[in-house]
Amino acid sequence: MSPTQVHLEDVAVGAVLPRVVRNASRVQLFLYSAATWNPHRIHYDVDYARFEGHEDVLVHGPLQGAWLTQYVTSWAGPRARLLSVQWQNRASAFPERDLHFDGRVTAVDGDVVTLEITEADPDGRVLMPATATVRLPRRG
Amino acid sequence: MQDQPTDESLVPDETRALVGTLVAEPVRAEITAKESQRYAQAVGDLDPVYFDIDAARAAGHPTLVAPPTFVTHAVVVGLPLDHIRTDGLFTGAMPMRLRVQRTMFGGEEWDFDAPVYVGDTITAETRLASIDEKAGSKGPFVRIVRETTFTNQHGDVVARSRQIGIAR
Repeated sequence: MSPTQVHLEDVAVGAVLPRVVRNASRVQLFLYSAATWNPHRIHYDVDYARFEGHEDVLVHGPLQGAWLTQYVTSWAGPRARLLSVQWQNRASAFPERDLHFDGRVTAVDGDVVTLEITEADPDGRVLMPATATVRLPRRG
Repeated sequence: MQDQPTDESLVPDETRALVGTLVAEPVRAEITAKESQRYAQAVGDLDPVYFDIDAARAAGHPTLVAPPTFVTHAVVVGLPLDHIRTDGLFTGAMPMRLRVQRTMFGGEEWDFDAPVYVGDTITAETRLASIDEKAGSKGPFVRIVRETTFTNQHGDVVARSRQIGIAR
């Protein structure tokens, strides 16, 4: 399977990116903690997370950030170059719940496309708003 | 000035004076395929340019690419178990003094200036970029921005991240 490539000529302001739904297991959170050498208990110890006032263990902010960057790179394709991404942590994300990633094109400047992205719960409550810029190749 | 009860500021002067300075010693680390790929698998990002050198070359890269934000995890310095606090965080994670109860992750801003490749040696330098006291609907809070610059073995800046902490 060869990955699809988005070209500059394919996009215009207002274009909507396909939704991606993610649902993190507790095992995934554990593996991410291990792979990033992050011993913070709120991500794997539910008793401790509740002691700190959270309803469950929390999905790591930077893991959600990694999903946001992946949302852009997997849409844009291998010959695109991610230039920047910014995200705000507005509300907590929890494992075993769907997280919806949606995006749209808000600007095209030369070969650089600006995207507005949201990570939201299934009710549409935004957990992490984000913006990203990506340089797209021209066709041909 | 000492920590007087009459001082309303959440940010002691000694902490404000740290703006612009390094918050830790620079850290250097090699980007390895194993660590980069473990990270990509844990994220759930199986982009072939991270795993398949032919796919990386077809996309215009000289070798395997590391996922964009992996670089910040590659430079984490491990500490012995007796350097871990009750909450699991490493001691010394926050060397600046603030008159606050808790600090939360507020968000992050990244600039990716060049790809990071497996085999690169990355040096990370983190400075306290700004520390501002703000008025919020739930009372005053402090916005702390730490900026990390990641530089490769050729002296090229490959990425910059600004990590935003909210303390109240």
